[in-house]
Amino acid sequence: MDNDDRGLIADLKQENKRDLAFNTLVIKYQERLYWHIRKIVLSHEDADDILQNTFIKVWKNIGNFREESSLYTWLYRIATNESLTYINSNKRKSFVQMNDTSEFLMNNLVSDPYFEGDEIQLKLQEAILQLPEKQRLVFNMKYFDAMKYDEISEVLGTSVGALKASYHHASKKIEEFFKNID
Amino acid sequence: MDELKKNTPRLSKLKKENPFGTPDKYFDDFSARLKIKLEAEKKIIPIKQNLIIRFLKPAIGIAASFAIIFLLANLPIKNFLSQKVANSSVETEFSEADYLRAMEGIDENSVYSLIEETDEGIEFSDEDLLSYASANTSEYELFMDLNNN
Repeated sequence: MDNDDRGLIADLKQENKRDLAFNTLVIKYQERLYWHIRKIVLSHEDADDILQNTFIKVWKNIGNFREESSLYTWLYRIATNESLTYINSNKRKSFVQMNDTSEFLMNNLVSDPYFEGDEIQLKLQEAILQLPEKQRLVFNMKYFDAMKYDEISEVLGTSVGALKASYHHASKKIEEFFKNID
Repeated sequence: MDELKKNTPRLSKLKKENPFGTPDKYFDDFSARLKIKLEAEKKIIPIKQNLIIRFLKPAIGIAASFAIIFLLANLPIKNFLSQKVANSSVETEFSEADYLRAMEGIDENSVYSLIEETDEGIEFSDEDLLSYASANTSEYELFMDLNNN
């Protein structure tokens, strides 16, 4: 953990410095967390809601943070859990009967006014949505965010070996998807 | 990793671009919007606590009224019973003066006869002694007793 984060955590745990430290934390991590969430839920509106919920959870639970992992990993873990919970609860609330998560998320993506990708990018997102949840998370973190396996391992609580295998399978499935549409 | 690239030529050809966009100045406004939501959240927490108290209020009220009824009913009964017990103990109490008066009523001969009337008239045969000794004493103890005597 870097020294800035250590100081930030110490300040967050003190009542008189908490507000200022929290503002610093939000500014430092908001963009990274937003893009991580956005790649999971695909729509901007949902990503915005989840990012706010993530930071509120951080505010409420900072006292319980034991500093066993880095602050960055802890935040990523909360953001990932919040995103998956959000998808599952909204899928249940949806008026249209969805067969699976990928269908729900594809609808999210198509109706999102802030998707700026071309047709190939849309196809890539469609291919990613065909993957099982864990493979989808690993693929996004490795392919787009270029995260190290060690970091992904800490966020998802999965061994590095299993993550490498997941990424390998995910890449092969996406390749197969493009092969079929050619 | 190179092998993976070889096996996934179509994926490798794609540009790693971020296809997602955000509204203008989204990140500039985010912390201000979050602050508003956080303030609202801080107010919700005490309201939630009040809700729990409000939810438990009828139960607490019922429990308190039962406790009051119990106390109101119990106190007079307790007072009445303790008074009765006190009265009955006065009746059965044996004062020192009564004891001395009773002792004075007994003549000396009766007292001596009571003291001396201990083992008189009780006799043991040899057989009784033998069976008592065999039942309650081990051979080793008997041997040790004989040796000591």
